[in-house]
Amino acid sequence: MFEKEFQNIHDLAKKHDIKHYDVYLSKSKSFSVKVFHQDIDTFSYSDSLGLGIRIIFNDVTGYSYTEKLDKESLSAALLRAKNNAKAVDYKEKVVLVNYPAIDKDLDIYNKDLVGIPLEDKINKAKEIEKVALDSDERIINVPHALIGDNEDFVKIANSSGLNTEYSSNACYGFSFCLAKEGDETKSGYFEIISRDFSDIIPQKISNGASQKALELLSAHEIQSGNYPILFNNEMAATLLGTFWSIFSAKTVQEGQSLLKGQLGNTIAHPIVNIIDDALLNNGYNTRPFDDEGYPSQKTSLISDGILQSYLHNTMTALKDGTISTGNASRSYKTSINISPSNLYIKPGLSSKSELYSVFPKCIEIVQLSGMHSGCNTISGDFSMGAQGFYCEEGQRKYPIHNFTVSGNFLQLLKHIVGLADDLKFKLSATGSPSILVENLSISG
Amino acid sequence: MIRKSIIESVLQKALSNGADFSELFLEDSVSSTMQLLDRKIVKSISGNDYGAGVRVFYGHRAIYAFTNDVSEKGLLTVAEAVSKAETGDKRTEIIDLTQKTYDSPHKVLIPFNSVPIQDKIAFVHSIDNASRNFSDYISQVNINYMEKYQNIMIANSEGLSTQDQRTYARVYVSSIAFKDNQMQTGSEGPGALMGYEFFNNVDPEELGRKTAERAVKMLLAEYAPSGKFPVIIGNAFGGVIFHEACGHSLETTSVAKGASVFADKLNTRIANPCVTAIDDGTMLNKWGSTTIDDEGSPTQRTVLIDKGMLQSFMIDKLGGMKIGLPSTGSGRRQSYKFAPTSRMRNTYIDKGPDTIQDMISSVDFGLYAKKMGGGSVQPGTGDFNFAVGEGYLIEDGKISKPVRGATLIGNGKDILKRISMVSDDLELAEGMCGSQSGSIPTCVGQPTIKVDEIVVGGRKKIA
Repeated sequence: MFEKEFQNIHDLAKKHDIKHYDVYLSKSKSFSVKVFHQDIDTFSYSDSLGLGIRIIFNDVTGYSYTEKLDKESLSAALLRAKNNAKAVDYKEKVVLVNYPAIDKDLDIYNKDLVGIPLEDKINKAKEIEKVALDSDERIINVPHALIGDNEDFVKIANSSGLNTEYSSNACYGFSFCLAKEGDETKSGYFEIISRDFSDIIPQKISNGASQKALELLSAHEIQSGNYPILFNNEMAATLLGTFWSIFSAKTVQEGQSLLKGQLGNTIAHPIVNIIDDALLNNGYNTRPFDDEGYPSQKTSLISDGILQSYLHNTMTALKDGTISTGNASRSYKTSINISPSNLYIKPGLSSKSELYSVFPKCIEIVQLSGMHSGCNTISGDFSMGAQGFYCEEGQRKYPIHNFTVSGNFLQLLKHIVGLADDLKFKLSATGSPSILVENLSISG
Repeated sequence: MIRKSIIESVLQKALSNGADFSELFLEDSVSSTMQLLDRKIVKSISGNDYGAGVRVFYGHRAIYAFTNDVSEKGLLTVAEAVSKAETGDKRTEIIDLTQKTYDSPHKVLIPFNSVPIQDKIAFVHSIDNASRNFSDYISQVNINYMEKYQNIMIANSEGLSTQDQRTYARVYVSSIAFKDNQMQTGSEGPGALMGYEFFNNVDPEELGRKTAERAVKMLLAEYAPSGKFPVIIGNAFGGVIFHEACGHSLETTSVAKGASVFADKLNTRIANPCVTAIDDGTMLNKWGSTTIDDEGSPTQRTVLIDKGMLQSFMIDKLGGMKIGLPSTGSGRRQSYKFAPTSRMRNTYIDKGPDTIQDMISSVDFGLYAKKMGGGSVQPGTGDFNFAVGEGYLIEDGKISKPVRGATLIGNGKDILKRISMVSDDLELAEGMCGSQSGSIPTCVGQPTIKVDEIVVGGRKKIA
């Protein structure tokens, strides 16, 4: 796709005497339908396309983008990027390469997803709401019953001859419901994401969400103090998703990461392994190359507790004298940054129920709130509202609420003493098994 | 931008499954931004946003979709998608568009592309220099320069077809002062619905110095006390509290859902009689003004609160249908990627008869929050929490010393009743307001006001 437009860019670049540049095009289609009271509440459909141009001229970079792809607009975009490069005085080495393709079929596009009739999607969303409301009279409201899908196409070319593209797609179902008993209201959510529409089973989604809300009813308060904490897989993934930027080489080079100067040091308990894998089977962010066109790979960030690598794009890698890990990320409107692909904590061998009995008592956390205001990604400190269960004698005793859990993410990594075998990924493509942390402060 | 017959067939297609209303919004915008950091221009990005959104109403429900394939085929695909969201009676209606032109009173004198980029770079460097020259405590200056043209076309099934061009200029400056692991920031972000002449009227020296001065003053200040006491809130950006804690609750987006504490309060007293509040989209060349809103209705000056009485909400088409009132020209959106909702324009508390001196003299012990910082509001309840960017302690009717780290904690509905004095130094300040229909330019504003009692969260220094 878009071969003609890309050829036009190469021709125009020659005409405008632009020698070093790359071009990033993305086209994404997304659809979602949300049902409320068995009617369509919101319905969204979008089809968006944009093209970003980066020009490198004497080690400075100029950017421009356009959503119009006619020859005149492309020419204007090239000239704007050239002028922008002249304005910038920040120097940074950028090397453009015709990277080889990876030698693996990733299976990230299912053409059957395209033809799913609209009616089937609407019906599934209705079903998600209905099943939840019918399942238990304490489920009083399902504010979000959602079905959606998206399809992304990325094409990258550069002045060194790179010209590569891929398509990926996925569909998802989501439910958020409220359970009420007396004056107490609790919420629960559940999501499924897949490349196969038949995996999106409304019963599974509804029951998942309503069970989570119901089991938190009749919650007690908890006495302040230090407790062993069991984060369930979703909350452990949420924590990792909040603090991932400490692994970004850009953050490190800017002096904003706790991991500066820690390569080769033990920064986590020896049982901890953290991996970024852009080639992961069935991963939500699985892709053949990153947003610079650099081939995807599996990168070990922490191996047996030792910090092995940061996440790099080619520019941060050049600065550190290493090679990229294929984590460049951008949109057509923005400059190049760094993001994880599929980032996860490697699961352990214990079942989750075994973790309950490691300590005589512990607190299991199944919901967290205030991730943005309560977490400082520079210092690693966090203090978040939480809900969960008080556990004793190897099992949940009763639900608890109205408490905060606080600590420091790096300290937490050092005090992980148990990993379950229940690895789960969130929609954000961060994943974790349930983790047991020795000692964190709880205030109730 | 597109042939009339194509627009008509898109609007007809969107209606075809029984919708009550259809609308096409087309946008072609060009913008440039430049960032200065570490005394260097580190980033310069410019771009062209181009696309279309189609909206239909089924009763009180809106369906929206967008694309940047604005060919006839692309637009018809989107129109078909929205038409299929619901199936009513098949409808075939002939739409005949009539071109309506509104003359813009907001004149643009100097086009951005007529000014060499070197002049723009020199402008931001002179702000940076002025800030750093003010004090050695200034460790970083972050400046964002922005210019934008937004061209829009709106057509709907009522036969309306109209367009508008909006020209935006803004510079945002943050000066950071640093000492002993402590950091304080002073920011200003002047902007206007104007061409490059706006930057010619900004004094870069003063802008740099002002932000640096505030950062340094707060760096060297003592911590603010906490407790409940009278607070005098400074003009201009002080209006952010009214904007966040009251303004959003007066948008039909929250009124129609019953999510607003003011939903059933029209024509009743909601504020002290010294409070008159206005949302004005017609102010000449102001940052939050437009000639027409993003639904094609001419913008208006809307008196929200008149001497304490609630007079009007801010109303868009759909919100107006839901609450049974006509649009106030308040339908706005960030771009074609968003369906419009009711939003603020230039929102301010009007001037009053008092002076700052009288206010300060009337306080035995309190806080003068000369410049407000950021904050947040709990949507349904109106509970707010705002940082004070530049604060002073008032003791025995006099300003005694600068204090830092104060936050104001309260509720929008309560604070309106506790405003007891309003001065005559009305000023507006520019900002970006984020909500359901995206991030849009708005002004907040007020004269200096006195609130009889607010909870001030101070910070006790840990020894």
